[in-house]
Amino acid sequence: MSGDLRIDGVSHGESIEFTFEGQPVKGHKGETVAMALWAHGCQALRNSSRDGAPRAVLCNMGICYECLVRIDGAVVRACMTEIEPGMIVERGGKS
Amino acid sequence: MTRDAVIEADVGVVGAGPGGMAAALRIASSGLSVVVLDEGARPGGQIFRQLPEGFAHASPPTEPPSHGAGHELLHALTGSKVSVESHATVWDARAPRGDDLGCLWFEQGVASRALRCKAIVLAPGAMDRCVPFPGWTLPGVITAGAAQVMVRGYGIKPGSRAVVAGSGPLLLPTVTALVSAGVKVVAALESAPRRAALRALPGVLRSGARLREAFFYARQLWRSGVSLQFSRAVFAVEGDGRVQRAVIGQLDREGNPIASTAKTVDADVVCTGFGLVPSIEIGQRLGCRATWNEARGGWHIEALDFGATNVDRVFAVGEIAGIGGSEVAIAEGRAAGELVCAQLQQRGALTHVRDRSRAVRAAADAMLRAFSVPRGVYSLVKDGTIVCRCEDVNAKAVRDASALHGDSLRAIKMGCRAGMGPCQGRICAPSVQAIASRGSTRAWDEPVVQIPLKPVRTSTILDAPKV
Repeated sequence: MSGDLRIDGVSHGESIEFTFEGQPVKGHKGETVAMALWAHGCQALRNSSRDGAPRAVLCNMGICYECLVRIDGAVVRACMTEIEPGMIVERGGKS
Repeated sequence: MTRDAVIEADVGVVGAGPGGMAAALRIASSGLSVVVLDEGARPGGQIFRQLPEGFAHASPPTEPPSHGAGHELLHALTGSKVSVESHATVWDARAPRGDDLGCLWFEQGVASRALRCKAIVLAPGAMDRCVPFPGWTLPGVITAGAAQVMVRGYGIKPGSRAVVAGSGPLLLPTVTALVSAGVKVVAALESAPRRAALRALPGVLRSGARLREAFFYARQLWRSGVSLQFSRAVFAVEGDGRVQRAVIGQLDREGNPIASTAKTVDADVVCTGFGLVPSIEIGQRLGCRATWNEARGGWHIEALDFGATNVDRVFAVGEIAGIGGSEVAIAEGRAAGELVCAQLQQRGALTHVRDRSRAVRAAADAMLRAFSVPRGVYSLVKDGTIVCRCEDVNAKAVRDASALHGDSLRAIKMGCRAGMGPCQGRICAPSVQAIASRGSTRAWDEPVVQIPLKPVRTSTILDAPKV
């Protein structure tokens, strides 16, 4: 995944690697799944329920449920779930 | 570490934003035990979002004066006996009654827990009001609040070229946050006319803090070279699988788009927010009376002096009692904290904290009255524009359902599924009725509250402590 939207001059803690749709992603301890992916320009997190269109973070504070992903079999909000080493994240919604 | 499934405290507070923190600190200072349940990773709420632990700015961005109060509260919280339970999603609640304790059921990670308490202070905050427009479901369209969380909460840029659009005082901090992050703000569009800003002035002048805040943003805006344009909006967003362009243009006096003024600008992110909507579900669940006032964001919990509600020993402070900003939340949090202590310790409450909260609330009301959402902006919504994002329901389906079943929220929901998805209508309810009733200015229906208050794991409900 290309691109980096992390703000210049912000230092981070420990690096963490997890996967999204089988691709390795690097993030930092304290980041949410949604933000670690967004930083790499990866926005689409789920497919919408009827037309399967890509959907991404809307509210980023746990209200809209647009960022639902699948982690360890559970459907969770990517914007409210912090990344952990080795976490396996899959796109939510219709596949 | 295993944590007790059931915990007890004198007082339970919902939300660790400015109102919740102020209330909890006031209560703890009287020697009462207090637990704050907060959905975030760290206290502060949305307004006083902090970077995660281990993150640091080489040169911290300039903050508005109001954030000084946030740092004070956060600092005081660290040194206090207030217990904060983070990552806690409250999904059910019961008010204290007679000698029976009240209860707040919450999900924390995979744990199903409950807090029993003698009094409950509600400070759950608010969310951005969304007005749909063609293309708003494309990745890259985010709320103004989301943009601020990215920048201030995680040190991440929402994009490289941003359009900020919507209405109300929150557009300014959004622009400022983006500029400080190094994002190019291509356009900053206020849908209200310039005279709205002028109408807001007396409210600003009545509060020294608000005035300092206004000066701060005026200066930041001037420095950034971005100018806020009035009577303008995003008409549509276009792109292949993500935001690539925004069509922007002028609005007429009623807020209707003037098609001939439309022009297209390149942008990879659109930050949109038409003021805030109070999060009232938990208050409704506890039996608190809700009331409608457009200047306060529509439906909010009716709070009397000291944040008291019609339900004994249940208090509502800050945005849940009507949009008013952090200064109001802090004053009301302190006032509610004072009355909670007075009631539990059986003494009289000090009246100066009440007088202060009355005064800041009145000033906020005066300012926010100026920024009502112009009805015309809902005419941006085309037949095929999705209104309910959870269930993919478009505006035509909403209008058809309303023609067939009536324009109440419940009827529309039954007719076309709008509001039936996981967000439980939080995002679409404010626009569904506006679209269905074609711009009538009557009060919308009070939103329907349901259990769980937010979607939680089935195991959370099955394993809920029986108390």
